[in-house]
Amino acid sequence: MGSSSAQRELQRELEAKANDLSKIQKDISKNHQVRKKYTIQLGENELVLKELDLLSEDANVFKLIGPVLVKQDLAEARANVRKRIEYISAELKRLDATLQDMEEKQNSKKEAIFKVQQRIQSLQAGKAKA
Amino acid sequence: MRGKGTVTPLSSVFSVEDTQKAAKRVQDTIAQKDLELDHLRGFAADNTDLINLVARLPEHLHHDIMVPFGKAAFFPGRLVHTNEFMVLLGEGYYAERTSKQTVDILNRRGKVLESQVDSLKAMVQDLKAEASFFNATATEAAEGLVEIVEDYEEESSSDRECTPKQDYANNSRAVIAQPADEDEEFARMMARMDELEKEEREAESHMAQSDEDEQLQHGLHQLSDQKSLHGNLKISEYQSRKPPEQTKDGIASNEDSFTDVPSGSGLVSKYEDKVSHENILGRDVKSVAEKDLVSPVVENVQTVPLSRSQVSLESSKPKFDREKAFTGSIVEHADNLQIKSRERTTAISQSSASQVSKPVSRFKMQRK
Repeated sequence: MGSSSAQRELQRELEAKANDLSKIQKDISKNHQVRKKYTIQLGENELVLKELDLLSEDANVFKLIGPVLVKQDLAEARANVRKRIEYISAELKRLDATLQDMEEKQNSKKEAIFKVQQRIQSLQAGKAKA
Repeated sequence: MRGKGTVTPLSSVFSVEDTQKAAKRVQDTIAQKDLELDHLRGFAADNTDLINLVARLPEHLHHDIMVPFGKAAFFPGRLVHTNEFMVLLGEGYYAERTSKQTVDILNRRGKVLESQVDSLKAMVQDLKAEASFFNATATEAAEGLVEIVEDYEEESSSDRECTPKQDYANNSRAVIAQPADEDEEFARMMARMDELEKEEREAESHMAQSDEDEQLQHGLHQLSDQKSLHGNLKISEYQSRKPPEQTKDGIASNEDSFTDVPSGSGLVSKYEDKVSHENILGRDVKSVAEKDLVSPVVENVQTVPLSRSQVSLESSKPKFDREKAFTGSIVEHADNLQIKSRERTTAISQSSASQVSKPVSRFKMQRK
């Protein structure tokens, strides 16, 4: 009777850990999606910067703000885009760090789950013997 | 070290369902990437269309067009200022550009798209390789394949490591002879290339030459296959059919090969060797052929007769085809083929030991 209750305990622990793991995995996939978005934006911004750098100084540059095109200074536009690229790069770095962190957590969780499973198995084996 | 390796069913290592699941997942990813690829290709096509349009617009001062109004309505309008474009650079930035500048921008964008398409293609290819691997594993597991692949390789490699001396003792001659063989093969290939280049110019003399070749070979066949009854008959036939433009050297070498007949055990190999040598080198460099006639014979008899014979056997196969192509008028072809194959089999039975060991040694060389 005692062994079966211990087993139930372990079963519950396993479930909790599995839930945690799935949560972490969900976070990781979310992180991946966000990263993908940022990478695309970074690529676009770099393209824009390249084109802006290629423009001659007297070219007219506009920015679409809401429904209207607002004329912008070329230098200002370049500075803006550059700042944006910096921001996105920093964000990507941050995401990388959190991703690594989460992967570590995921691995430790996996290990814990494996241990619990082993314990359950050994318990069952002991019960079968007895 | 295990003596024989372990036998493990593959399905116990990779369960069938798991591998199938993995394969399916990879397939899904491939489908997704393919979709993306189609998307990108669509963009690229749009881009080229746009480039064409933009390049064409300034050809006229104005264009009569139908202006879309809302979702369902159009009204007639007129495009003016056909050389002024407001180009979206991305991220909400627009720039005023001329047609030419716009085309430049669009071309740059097209290049970016192309590189993206290429990278995606490479990705899809990788995924496909992965999928085929998974499928192979799945089918192998489903078929109940026993013995893991890694296990098998380890076994054979350890085998090789454990008993290299024995192996090399068996194959030592072949192994030693191999580099020389390869060199020779290379030389033969080069010689054949030269020959092919000269073929057109020397079609006439080539006919004579290949006649000669055939005679040599026939002589060889008769000699090696001494049971053949029409042997003697044929010798005389060939001698009488010798073309008049044949060179002295050719005759000499012929006679050489005939008189040398009873000289030893490396019979087949020697004559094969001679024939192929002459076949390749003979026409333009008779003296070289002559020289070769002397040295390989000695070599053959002494040390490496069998591996050499194999090489020349190999090289004699295409030669036969060529013969057929160039001397189609000669009647004995079917016969020749028959004798040829018979001769081959006798050669194989004669030198069966090295014939078997040779490919093995080559395999080992590869694995090294």
